[in-house]
Amino acid sequence: MKKLIVFLSSFLLVGLFVFGHQAQQPVQAAEKTYEIGTDVTYPPFEFANEKNQYVGIDIDIMKAIAKSEGFKMNIKPLGFNAAVQAVQSEQIDGMIAGMTITPERQAKFDFADPYYKTGVVMAVQKDSKIKGLEGLRGKRVAIKTGTSAGAYATARAKEYGFTTVTFDDSDNMYNDVVNGNSAACFEDEPVMQYGIKTGLKLKIVTKPAEGGEYGFAVKKGSNPELIAKFNKGLAKLKTNGQYDKIKAKYLSTESTKKATVDHSFFGLLKENKDALLSGLGQTLLLTVIAIFFATIFGVFFGLLGVLPNRFARGISNTVIYIFRGLPLLVLALFIYTGIPSLTGQKIPAIVAGVITLMFNEGAYTAAFVKGGIGAVSSGQMEAARSLGLPYSKAMRRVVLPQGIRIMVPSFINQFIITLKDTSILSIIGILELTQTGKIIIARNLEGFKIWAMIALIYLIVITVLTWLSKYIERRMAN
Amino acid sequence: MNRIEVSHLIKNYGSNEVLKDLDLTVGNNEVVVMIGPSGSGKSTFLRCLNRLEEPTSGEIIVDGYNLSDSKSDLNQIREKIGMVFQHFNLFKNLTVAENIMLAPVELGKMTAEKAQTTAKKLLETVGLADKYDANPQSLSGGQKQRVAIARALAMQPDILLFDEPTSALDPEMVGDVLAVMKRLAKDGMTMVVVTHEMGFAKEVADRVIFMADGHIVEQGTPQEIFETPQNERTKDFLNKVLNA
Repeated sequence: MKKLIVFLSSFLLVGLFVFGHQAQQPVQAAEKTYEIGTDVTYPPFEFANEKNQYVGIDIDIMKAIAKSEGFKMNIKPLGFNAAVQAVQSEQIDGMIAGMTITPERQAKFDFADPYYKTGVVMAVQKDSKIKGLEGLRGKRVAIKTGTSAGAYATARAKEYGFTTVTFDDSDNMYNDVVNGNSAACFEDEPVMQYGIKTGLKLKIVTKPAEGGEYGFAVKKGSNPELIAKFNKGLAKLKTNGQYDKIKAKYLSTESTKKATVDHSFFGLLKENKDALLSGLGQTLLLTVIAIFFATIFGVFFGLLGVLPNRFARGISNTVIYIFRGLPLLVLALFIYTGIPSLTGQKIPAIVAGVITLMFNEGAYTAAFVKGGIGAVSSGQMEAARSLGLPYSKAMRRVVLPQGIRIMVPSFINQFIITLKDTSILSIIGILELTQTGKIIIARNLEGFKIWAMIALIYLIVITVLTWLSKYIERRMAN
Repeated sequence: MNRIEVSHLIKNYGSNEVLKDLDLTVGNNEVVVMIGPSGSGKSTFLRCLNRLEEPTSGEIIVDGYNLSDSKSDLNQIREKIGMVFQHFNLFKNLTVAENIMLAPVELGKMTAEKAQTTAKKLLETVGLADKYDANPQSLSGGQKQRVAIARALAMQPDILLFDEPTSALDPEMVGDVLAVMKRLAKDGMTMVVVTHEMGFAKEVADRVIFMADGHIVEQGTPQEIFETPQNERTKDFLNKVLNA
């Protein structure tokens, strides 16, 4: 037993070490590579194109500046709120995400010179008769969390007598209006313009209000040299005309005239095949790694929970209680953004994701490992001990083999749950299947068809997994 | 020489006193049969003898080893005390032969080859030579119990404890198991048997012990207990059991 515990725990440590080590590589590189966060779904400022590469005004400006100022950087589409937290916990160095410069934000961020002037507009259904804020009395309005446009609407809700509903993604907000659930939505002008040009069935009914300015941001006091480089680069782009070119590329009517896109289910499937496959690949990879560590974690704490030692059982019960009690979403955000602000050590999203799943799925695994061993009749242990076999041998040769057989269905069930739970990790920006879906939808606004595809892919994989596990279960029963 | 010496044995479950200050000695080659109403503490007493049950206080000495002494190696003492359970407790994940061979091989008492010959021989003596490779679940209750006896014998114990070995069996299976036990007794095995089989007690026991309410109420030869019981409770119990 002791040997087994030592083996398992060293295994766990080695695993964490390998991951932790990978995590540090970018930092150790001789030349500093900046990690820049951005939103996932904020066209025309940032969005993934058909080839699943990130493009947009923000991205192009950032790239052009990096090139002219000679620094390396990685763009990380984390989502707006996640990027804010990641900058504040110094997981990343800066963010460019259509972020309006406000006094409130200036308390926590240092902004570079503004790179874009914008204003808030209100959009309604194409055939709607609402012409302005006055028409919203008694109606519901869709806004996006943490945006200036959202704040603008919220501040006027009382005066104009409307209620608000908040969304995490622009496309969900738009669709709430398109579907008629909400009467209007508020968004920054260029974003709204781009959406309508892409085929969104909305129209803009107000003039840009509360002119705001977008700025590149770093954590307050953390990165003055990066701000300086950005300002210098931006000035160059403006003088040499590159800045206007970038803007025109995304906003001028001529350039957005696309070749007619096949918007049928199969057309969309064909167009997004590569992105979806790579998302699926991430999902499967994440699942396999997570199951591996969760199983080790779960078996370890499950076995601890059946030892004839009150202290060991106490540890096991506590671990199960904590990690089974925490919602997966909270655990993921806590590990990804909370731990680094405590320790000052960055964690890559994928590592945070694996650790999250290891704790959560591992706690469930520990519970059924404990239960499975407990379900082996106590007479088996007594008979083995009565023959003079020590506890560890009795456990290993008699109780465990029977317990494992009882656990097999639970293991299979847990694998399937783990696969599905990886979708929750899209919250920390891991580009798995669900996140891939969000990104595709942000570009083409075909929510229904894309989610149908994603659902179908999950179902197919789970069906295959179920067949496979039934086969293994049958093999084990014989 | 005494195989087992028990003095002032007390066992409580919380405030519930199950064994109330018991003394008992079992001599070499002796067959002791314990009878009494259910809940009288017979099985608990038996399970204290190999410490599957932790005594609350008192002293138990088996083959010269003090079981309550924390310095004595419990596993080593248990090797010498076989136990047969009411519900057989055959290892469900192992075949019949593997059930018998597991402990001797794991504990380094026999090589795998030696264990195989031993298993074959033991299965012959309990009349189950053809079940060598069988899965325990495919056996009847009586067959299971005979395999369990063979499993206990494989460790070549000095003492065998039987905890109601026939209580879970269909009536027609009881005879086979009792026959095996009788043969063991005849061959000189020291045995402590908790049972409701009065016929077996009469025929095989050197000494019969009647227990009630956590006390040894009366003990003596089978004749003394069954023909001239002294205590009212013994008389009452035997009256109920024998005239049922």
